[in-house]
Amino acid sequence: MRNQIFSTGYRPLPPAEARARGPWPAWPIARTALTLAWRRTGTKIALMLCAAVVFAVGVGLVAQVLAENAAQQLAEGQPLAAGMMRAVVGSVQDTFAIFLRTQFFFSAVALAVIGGGLIADDRHAGALELYFSRPLTRRDYALGKLLAALAVPLCTIVAPFVLLWLMTVGIAPPALRGPMLGLLAPGLGGALLASLTLAATVVGVSAHGERRRTVGVIFVVILLALSAVGEGVADAGFELAGYLSPTRDVQTVVDSLLGVGVGGLAAQLLELRSGSVNDSAWLSAGALTLMTLAGLGAVGARLRQEVAG
Amino acid sequence: MLLSLRGVCKRFGGFQALRDVTGEIEGRAVGLLGPNGAGKTTLMKICVGLLAADEGEVRVLGIDARREPGRVRARLGYAAEGPGRIPGLTGLESVAYAAELCGLTRRDAFLRAHEVLDLVGLDEARQREVEHYSTGMHQRVKLAMALVHDPELVLLDEPTSGLDPSSRDELLELLERLRDGDGPAFLLSTHLLHDVERTCDTCLIMDRGQLRFAGTLASLREGAPREFELRPLASARADDRRDRLGALRAGLERAGARVDVGRRPGTLVVALPPARIWEVSRALDIPIAHLEARALSLEEVFLRTIRGRDDDDAGAEMSKQAGHGA
Repeated sequence: MRNQIFSTGYRPLPPAEARARGPWPAWPIARTALTLAWRRTGTKIALMLCAAVVFAVGVGLVAQVLAENAAQQLAEGQPLAAGMMRAVVGSVQDTFAIFLRTQFFFSAVALAVIGGGLIADDRHAGALELYFSRPLTRRDYALGKLLAALAVPLCTIVAPFVLLWLMTVGIAPPALRGPMLGLLAPGLGGALLASLTLAATVVGVSAHGERRRTVGVIFVVILLALSAVGEGVADAGFELAGYLSPTRDVQTVVDSLLGVGVGGLAAQLLELRSGSVNDSAWLSAGALTLMTLAGLGAVGARLRQEVAG
Repeated sequence: MLLSLRGVCKRFGGFQALRDVTGEIEGRAVGLLGPNGAGKTTLMKICVGLLAADEGEVRVLGIDARREPGRVRARLGYAAEGPGRIPGLTGLESVAYAAELCGLTRRDAFLRAHEVLDLVGLDEARQREVEHYSTGMHQRVKLAMALVHDPELVLLDEPTSGLDPSSRDELLELLERLRDGDGPAFLLSTHLLHDVERTCDTCLIMDRGQLRFAGTLASLREGAPREFELRPLASARADDRRDRLGALRAGLERAGARVDVGRRPGTLVVALPPARIWEVSRALDIPIAHLEARALSLEEVFLRTIRGRDDDDAGAEMSKQAGHGA
């Protein structure tokens, strides 16, 4: 058997010009990272958790649209009842804002499970040598990992947002459809900013760890600690500290983009909306951008340390 | 020219890993010999571009490894000494992934991966995850990953370490086939002389960060000091034999020769020209009954090469000579 196998011999490849060129190296890196993540049970559980939130919000949106439809019919005969109904269920804009803020947290948990090992696993297994003995730059590698991390919030925040929006526009009565159409672009902007922040941060933390689980826990703890400190200090009177909290920043940006009011009574009773947001959406967006840049900087610093060129 | 090294230095904190390594290396199968800590892995990593040299110039296949690491890596395969695996991937996926990272399409990468895994002799195990592999299977996958993009030169860092004799034999047989067939040139780093003797035609010897020798195995043997085994003529009495042997040894050492006890009883091994040996023998009036030139094994030549040049200045000089000689 051995001789038979060995008799294959070495066959040189045709020259590079004569064969099809492969994709940009970041793509196979991202694809392989996601394939490996998908093989783990934790990934499927985390994604199911996110899917459950999408389902719940979807049910809420359907109920809101139906209630709005009913309120419009009541408005002519019983304007007080219609007003009360609207006050209880809240607006669709509120629900989208709640979705983006809530899903930001659940996506962070999913990313901790899926993305914690993106670079940490490679460092732990000594695979960085394997990557960088190929014609691959540090930028290709970092972008590949960032792409893999970004795929998670794109699937858990951005894509569900678009689907929910399509569903809501599809079933909304004509009077509600007009304002709904304008929600897509700002909602997408907020969702993309939140996704990029999460992805860059998790990759940054992963670049400095060697154990997937430890990285995941540290990532979630950092987000929770920043949120708690930011909220707490801001509530104590030092309002600028609120910009430290990523969840508050996301809410500020999303509320501002979607033009959200105080929120419906149902949402407030369920404590789905935090009453406080930062003063400036621009500063909040800046804080999230800084967090993104810090994550990318952490990846770059670690890779420069590990690999010469 | 496979490698061209000029004044390469590398320091890790207080430890000088490479000192002024200079040499021009050619050949199809090059052995990089040296004891642990000699700087073999550091030199390989600098060639691949994983480490940057503090000083000096490294050209791999004529390309500056520091300025154009991407071009070097496209033409180079590297099988690192460490685990170097991506947990969760099968052997086949690992090799195909390595090919994709080198610019092959996904389809071509899998076809090529099957082909190279056939070559290295990894059969149905290629469908198992790499973390369940034995050391031998793992070394084969690493070799396949290094070969998959058809490089011009493959750097193999201790590929036979941890292998049982049968796996080691198979891997060396594969290297012989690569050397004798259309395979790429390879640089085999090892501290096992037998591996180099069997698979390589050219050899580099490193010790304490310096290149002590670069040239063919034949020139290494020729350059080694000639040794002679001798037995003095003595009576049957044991104490007389011992006295004569001791006196002759002392006389030869006074003449500047390195003298060891021979493997056969009552013999000495002397690194001195025969004429000088006869001179000492006549001066001491101890006739020599038997004098025979001794063929050194590569292991002995290797040890002589390392031990013979302990002095740093002498080592640096040798490094320069090697640069011209290879």
